Amino acid sequence: MWKLCIKNFVRTSVAQVGISAVLIAGIISLLIGRQHLVKQQEAVKQTTIAQNEHIKRNKEFFSSELGLLFYYLKFSLVNELDPINGLSIGQRDVNPSIQSVTIRNLENQRYDTDLYNPAVLHAGNLDLSFVLLYLFPLLIIASCYTVLSADKEAGTWNMTRVQARKPAALIWKSLVIRMGFVFSVFFLLIGLAFVLLPLSINYRFLLFVGTGMAYLLFWFGLCAFIISLNKNSSTNAILLLGCWILLAIILPAGVNNYLTNRYPVPEALSTMVEQREAYHEKWDMEKTPTLKAFYKVYPDYEKYGYPQESFSWLWYYAMQHMGDEESKVHTESFMSKLAKREAVARSISFFIPTLHTQHQFNTLAKAGLENHLLFLKETANFHESVRKKVYPLIFENKQVDEVDWQALAVRKVEQNNQPDWLHVFLPFLVFILMLFGVSLKRMHSMA
Amino acid sequence: MIRKSVCLMLAKHSFFSAVSNRPVQLLMGLIFLLLLYANISSYTQYRQQITTRNYYRELVRNHWEEMPDKHPHRMAHYGYIAFRSIDPLSLFDRGIDTYAGNAIFLEAHKQNTVNFSEAGLSTGLLRFGEITQSMVLQLLVPLLLFFIGFGAIAADRENGTLKMLFSQGTSWKELLLGKCLGLWLLAMVFLLVGMFLLVGTSLSIPELEMNTDWWIRGIGLLLLYSVYFWIIAAITTWVSAISKSAKLSLVSLIGIWLLMGIILPRAIQSGASWVFPAPSKIHFDSMVEQELIKKGDSHDPNDPYYKALKDSVLRAHNVSSIEELPFNYSGFQMKEGERISTELYNQQMAVLLDIYKKQNNLSRVAGWVNPFMPIRLCSMSFSGTDFSSYVRFQTEAENYRYRLAQQMNDWQIQYISNKKPAPGEKGPAISRDFWKAFPAFAYPSTNWKQGLQEAGYPLLMLLAWFLFSVWLLIFRSQKLNAL
Repeated sequence: MWKLCIKNFVRTSVAQVGISAVLIAGIISLLIGRQHLVKQQEAVKQTTIAQNEHIKRNKEFFSSELGLLFYYLKFSLVNELDPINGLSIGQRDVNPSIQSVTIRNLENQRYDTDLYNPAVLHAGNLDLSFVLLYLFPLLIIASCYTVLSADKEAGTWNMTRVQARKPAALIWKSLVIRMGFVFSVFFLLIGLAFVLLPLSINYRFLLFVGTGMAYLLFWFGLCAFIISLNKNSSTNAILLLGCWILLAIILPAGVNNYLTNRYPVPEALSTMVEQREAYHEKWDMEKTPTLKAFYKVYPDYEKYGYPQESFSWLWYYAMQHMGDEESKVHTESFMSKLAKREAVARSISFFIPTLHTQHQFNTLAKAGLENHLLFLKETANFHESVRKKVYPLIFENKQVDEVDWQALAVRKVEQNNQPDWLHVFLPFLVFILMLFGVSLKRMHSMA
Repeated sequence: MIRKSVCLMLAKHSFFSAVSNRPVQLLMGLIFLLLLYANISSYTQYRQQITTRNYYRELVRNHWEEMPDKHPHRMAHYGYIAFRSIDPLSLFDRGIDTYAGNAIFLEAHKQNTVNFSEAGLSTGLLRFGEITQSMVLQLLVPLLLFFIGFGAIAADRENGTLKMLFSQGTSWKELLLGKCLGLWLLAMVFLLVGMFLLVGTSLSIPELEMNTDWWIRGIGLLLLYSVYFWIIAAITTWVSAISKSAKLSLVSLIGIWLLMGIILPRAIQSGASWVFPAPSKIHFDSMVEQELIKKGDSHDPNDPYYKALKDSVLRAHNVSSIEELPFNYSGFQMKEGERISTELYNQQMAVLLDIYKKQNNLSRVAGWVNPFMPIRLCSMSFSGTDFSSYVRFQTEAENYRYRLAQQMNDWQIQYISNKKPAPGEKGPAISRDFWKAFPAFAYPSTNWKQGLQEAGYPLLMLLAWFLFSVWLLIFRSQKLNAL
């Protein structure tokens, strides 16, 4: 019986065309993911080389004056890449994974983006997460919408029903076979991902695979439910496709519109304007108040006093820092607005499996907004740590060879907060149990 | 010989039988709701953005003009902030607007990135797309047409009415044209409602100016979408006519929609960036730096290029030191440095933009096989939200930055002494009246001629598709089978 069912399924054009199409798309997506990873890794490699060269060259020109030397020098912070990012590119194409900052004011530097082609972003990435989110459900729909209804339309169902001891079991058998094929395709792609990408099996990766499986199961549940409604094939197809359009296109886009409208971020521009004003106005003010304000933030430096000559690096960097300090309100409100966006998106996503899956993929790939916000915060910490290392050297007129360059090398941030598996699976579990439960009941009463 | 009356009768019949169908009414209602939602949400977003942007644009200008007397080079570092303007028709089609940066800090010596794109501030959700009028019209209305029209002929064939129609003297041409017309009329209802909503929304935004250009581009969009819907209606009718059964016709049409509307555009653009890889920022920056070092480093006091420059200037003025020159030498050197670095930057930028254009071209060419593609490109170009309008902003901003830097250098050359101030003496400065003399950053919005020019190639593809669809319905119909 199993053999026959499998043979029947394999012979359909849906199985042959659908599975090969998804496989091809999947392989392309892995290649695109690999290119993305390679590009990012190259950039990281280049960063270290470029920083060392850059320091070496500038040291030749400005070694007599540390204040001037550090005016030019850039120090880089790398937001560690997870190989899973090759499966789900997320926001890593628009948000940079490397920040290079000078010790001048931070707010003017930390929002710099990477270079990208907006038309490519507009079209979207063809990464594995797209194949999983959009194409796999279509494959599932295409292979399941005729289960039961095709037999009925061909008039064979009544005969089968009479002969089988448990007719409902037959429907489940067909579904299980389809699951077998779809999951094989899924695992084949995951296997290929292992060959093509530098992945390793760890908690995050297992969660990624688990999320993918749960998402596929959700769609099978939906198909089972629609089959249990006992309609004809065309109606099944339209209903399932309607669900797909709703879940993959209309609802996410609608939610996105809502979020953008509900939480606008004018703070982005106000931060930009404010920090520039706050810094530049200091040039035309008395030096003492600026220095006083600076010492209020860093009391340790008060020992350097209040030099009144027309220019001193102490005063200059105090002015620079005041740009950051005085725009702090805007920055904080900007960050909290974005955090709010993320939090609301997360809560809404619990109710919409497509959104939830995407959100989890991005989180696991360290490519979501949450990760970016953390990186922005880490950039601020990094910037401060560099400044604190360098300030005393500048203010005390130290020599170039007294600088500990090792301590100023390229740094990496690793964000290893592990997502809670219960949070990941609970929404799926509710949906899957509900859908399969209802359809099980309906099919048994129907058959 | 095509009888108009027969075509119209058939069109009328298929139109009214569709709209009297309950599920179709439901779906139509859903699309009207989405059009409404798209307009409300565009309205909110546009107002938020335009008011913030106008506010900060004015603030930046006021701050600029209120700056006290300063050394011009301080002013060059104070710089300017340029904001990308939003096209009034982005209400209709947001195009790449969401993915493009919105503000750029312009200063001497340094080309900054355009920051704060909506995409950069977004949760990953944005990648699912946005609900805009153009999205509803480009994707969802065609899908509805497919749902309504898949049985247009296939169902008639299945239940035998097709034979009856032919026996009454109707020809294939009349049948196809009539059915196609009926579907097209249905789509036009959405288009007209959408356009009315757009006009209403635009009228209710006080900051939005509906000038002649707006109307020309708006009517242009109306025409483009009319042609697009004809093509979609013709494809529906044709597929329905050649399919053996209604079910097969539905499956084919849905397949076309998924492949052409959703998968291919993404796959091709994504594939294009794979075929033509673009450099990352760090790579780009170091390429510019390398070129700059080759040419001469103005930071290096012993750089041969700048040393030679200095010597030649001194010789030309017949003096032995910079202090004796009749103009400010450091301003002069910075002017030369700015010129060279900008030139090199622009060269690298041109290379980069060329790569981007190559990437975009691949998906443009795909319009010859994908009927969903030409309208996408035309619509963005007419709405002023396409790639070229973004590049225009970038170019204008960079030109403004260059003008600002060089103006400050010129003023420094002219008005600042070569002598360093004695300790305790106030630094050299020029009057604040100069700042007002330097104009604010402004650039003209996309006009209909630019829109038309940019849309030229996709427009050609759209017309080709239109002609092809007419040819299909009229001249290929003899080959069809009534049974």
